Amino acid sequence: MVLVLVLALGDLHIPHRAPDLPAKFKSMLVPGKIQHIICTGNLCIKDVHDYLKIVCPDMHIIRGEYDEETRYPEIKTLTIGQFKIGVCHGHQIIPWGDLDSLAMLRRQLDVDILVTGHTHQFTAYKHEGGVVINPGSATGAYSSIAYDVNPSFVLMDIDGLRVVVYVYELIDGEVKVDKIDFKKTTAVTHSAY
Amino acid sequence: MSLAQSEPTLPESSSVVTSPSTSVSEISVGENRRFADLRGVQWRIDLGILPSSSTSSIDDLRRVTADFRRRYAALRRHLLVDPPVPKGERNSPDLVMDNPLSQNPDSMWGRFFRNAELERMVDRDLSRLYPEHGSYFQTPGCQGMLRRILLLWCLRHPEYGYRQGMHELLAPLLYVLHVDVERLSQVRMLYEDHFTDKFDGFSFHESDLTYNFDLKKFSDSMEDEIDSHNSSVKVSSLDELDPKIKAIVLLSDAYGAEGELGVVLSEKFMEHDAYSMFDALMNGASGAIAMAEFFSPAALGGSHTGLPPVIEASSALYSLLSIVDSSLHTHLVELGVEPQYFALRWLRVLFGREFALEDLLIIWDEIFASDNSYLNRSADNDIGTSFGVLSSPRGAFISSIAVSMILYLRSSVLATENATSCLQRLLNFPPDINLKKLIGKAKSLQSLALDANNSSPLPTHTGAYNQSKSMAVRGHSLSSDSTSPRTPLSLVPESYWEEKWRVLHKAEELKQGSLEKQVSNSKKGWSERIRFTLSRSESAPSPSKVNSRKKDPKSVRRSLLEDLSQQLGSEEDTEIIVCNEDLGQNHPSSVEVEVDVQDGDGRNFTCTVEERHLSGNAGSEENFSIFSDPPSPSSGVNDEENESESGSVVSNLSIDENDVEPNTVESCRTNPEVSPLLVSDFPDDISSKCGQNDDSLGKTATGLKERKLLSGKFQWFWKFGRNGGEGTSEKGASEATKASNGGSNQNNTESSSTADGLNSTVISKGDAVDQNVMIALRNLGQSMLENVQVIESVFQQDCGQVGSLESFSKNVLVGRGQVTAMAALKELRKISNLLSEM
Repeated sequence: MVLVLVLALGDLHIPHRAPDLPAKFKSMLVPGKIQHIICTGNLCIKDVHDYLKIVCPDMHIIRGEYDEETRYPEIKTLTIGQFKIGVCHGHQIIPWGDLDSLAMLRRQLDVDILVTGHTHQFTAYKHEGGVVINPGSATGAYSSIAYDVNPSFVLMDIDGLRVVVYVYELIDGEVKVDKIDFKKTTAVTHSAY
Repeated sequence: MSLAQSEPTLPESSSVVTSPSTSVSEISVGENRRFADLRGVQWRIDLGILPSSSTSSIDDLRRVTADFRRRYAALRRHLLVDPPVPKGERNSPDLVMDNPLSQNPDSMWGRFFRNAELERMVDRDLSRLYPEHGSYFQTPGCQGMLRRILLLWCLRHPEYGYRQGMHELLAPLLYVLHVDVERLSQVRMLYEDHFTDKFDGFSFHESDLTYNFDLKKFSDSMEDEIDSHNSSVKVSSLDELDPKIKAIVLLSDAYGAEGELGVVLSEKFMEHDAYSMFDALMNGASGAIAMAEFFSPAALGGSHTGLPPVIEASSALYSLLSIVDSSLHTHLVELGVEPQYFALRWLRVLFGREFALEDLLIIWDEIFASDNSYLNRSADNDIGTSFGVLSSPRGAFISSIAVSMILYLRSSVLATENATSCLQRLLNFPPDINLKKLIGKAKSLQSLALDANNSSPLPTHTGAYNQSKSMAVRGHSLSSDSTSPRTPLSLVPESYWEEKWRVLHKAEELKQGSLEKQVSNSKKGWSERIRFTLSRSESAPSPSKVNSRKKDPKSVRRSLLEDLSQQLGSEEDTEIIVCNEDLGQNHPSSVEVEVDVQDGDGRNFTCTVEERHLSGNAGSEENFSIFSDPPSPSSGVNDEENESESGSVVSNLSIDENDVEPNTVESCRTNPEVSPLLVSDFPDDISSKCGQNDDSLGKTATGLKERKLLSGKFQWFWKFGRNGGEGTSEKGASEATKASNGGSNQNNTESSSTADGLNSTVISKGDAVDQNVMIALRNLGQSMLENVQVIESVFQQDCGQVGSLESFSKNVLVGRGQVTAMAALKELRKISNLLSEM
């Protein structure tokens, strides 16, 4: 059974805007379950990188504007299962968090799923046969456009032509889970290749 | 399936099929071995899956088979849903609980991750399963079946879970089913081609060309084939056929009861059948032996010892060994080899690691053939000494096999000096063994084990095993003697500690005394040296001294006996009492005998050819007339002495290896415990040896003497170890000797054949014609040669040890002693060559 779990998170801003990941999140992120980690950047220090590496060694980290590590790429595409995934922090795309701009980037990169961050607000759109996801801030750090931020991250369960996006959000100390189902049509695949 | 594919597997399978059918019919006279050539079916009957009564019809078998298959199918549907995680609309709305990161172990995802983990674990083991039979076990189909069966069983029995080794219990089960199916297709081919002819077994290869054609037909239309196959059977009378073939035909009939689901020999349902067999094996089918318990780390409710079942079974194994061969048991205990060190592996996979697959199947045949039901013994029947594993014939047989395996390795295990090498030998069981003999011995041990477990003090029917198992005979005769009430020996416990202290103290004193006497002695700290010096100073002058000295050790012995009897079981206790008592009664004569024997032997080693011939002959004939004169118990006693001697020598050696000073006291303490008779016996042995050495090599240093003593001890040790092994393995030889002897000597030879093959040959020489003498002497020479080789190797080891003890020794003298000792060894070898030429 080929089942791949992909963790997507970003904008932790440790230690500048938040001390650490919420304890409830940390207890959920146990090693051995997750196959890939996609990180949209702004970790910002190496300790976070090391922590994530314990959860899953297969990491794809993009550089945010506050990252100390300069070797992270600005943009990255990868293929997991039958899905092509593009990752970008998002501060380059203006207006920030604008769906049309993000859809444009998704078409540019020719990916099925585009993961971006920077706004610290969880959003997920099914748009033009693809998905645009923003996992929000995993620590609930404030951003330049939002102050009251709930910590959140995203877990993608990729199974064949289907992806189930689980959204974990910490609201008032309780973890809320939501789920978005997305099925890729083969027509998209054909045009993609 | 083409011929090219099927042919390589055929020889293998056919050999596997035929070999058990011959050996099984020889070894076991099972009354309900209906399907002796269909192992898979037979095992299913033995394991309680199929009805065992011979009156049950084929249709009954088919119905039961179908039931089990249905059960498995339902279980698989229930537990192995693929994919395990239901998604989309069917998903429960409670996402907090059912999400991939859920902490709840009962959630879908929790179960999924657990199963995935289990599967990973199983796969890791399966990928290494039987690499030598990888052509079958490593195929994806087989691996898939094994994985599913194991997963299902583990999910079904979460209290056990998966443990390494379970897959090795399962694999042979699947394999026999596979072999059965192969056999079915073989028979089908034969039958199809030769049906119109009169069926005979050997025309298989004559028509290879037609097979190519037929095979296609078979594989294409299995259904049709069975159909035609079956109808043609109906046409002719079934009784004309071999009943075995008839059974196969009926078992594979797709139109019998339950239709195709009831086809007992079915490739489609191998997985189902293997699961039910595995389940029955693991759960014991409400019998005494449930293999699953062997994997359980904690004690179960049924055990009264509070130990995990496998540990308890291991100690049952040792207790059986102590009944059968106490010296070997003592040796193992001395080395600190706990039974579970090796028995864990033996028992958990039912010897799967020790034998090749073909041999293993034969052993399992026997194991499964033994009844697994509890023996009807009263629950309050001395629960303290009974072991759960021995409470059923199957469990007793399993432990008997283990014990007979240990006995098979007896000589090499006795030769080991530390636990590591001992375990090495136990865990590297030789691949080329006489399986029939092993099983035969295990069978004879089985009822002994059952008896022992029922804790009746006297095994009443051990006489039945007189012929096959001389060791059992010894135990039996001694224990039967022990029941006679003529043991007025008052065991004085109050003087025991006094006596013990005195022994220790004397040893210390003598150590002091010998310090000045033997400056060249390099290893005085060693316990062995102490005993040597003790014995030499005590017994060197003359036999009269021996007599005067006699009293003391006797009482010491007695008190030590008390100690021993406290530790050991009641049976051994009485055994020793008899020994002791007999020694007490016949002490002068037995001591004389001992001395004489040693004397004769020693002279053999050192005198010239002529002299040796004369004196050896004279000495030995004298000896053995004396030897046979005393009533049989005394020879048994001598026997016992020898046994214990060898055992204690080993213990000494192991201590020697450790070469720690504090060991002196400890070994002084342990030695008497092991062999209470040793204290009095060794002096004779050693003094005679000593004298001989002095005669032949007058100018040798005292260091040489020490060496000589050591070598003498080694010699005895090896002789006993080797002959003991031969005694068990060459039963035929000892039988022959027995036959040649008169009825009066029978007891004598029986007992001696176990402990000392040399004695038995010499005894027969004493009675028989000159040719026997020559043969015996030749044997003697050969054994001497071997002994010499052994000594040499030991010496090399010892040299290294001496080097490490510099602080305590004078290297120069020791070195010289070794050189001279080596020279003496050369002499010895020359003599033995001459002797063997004679």
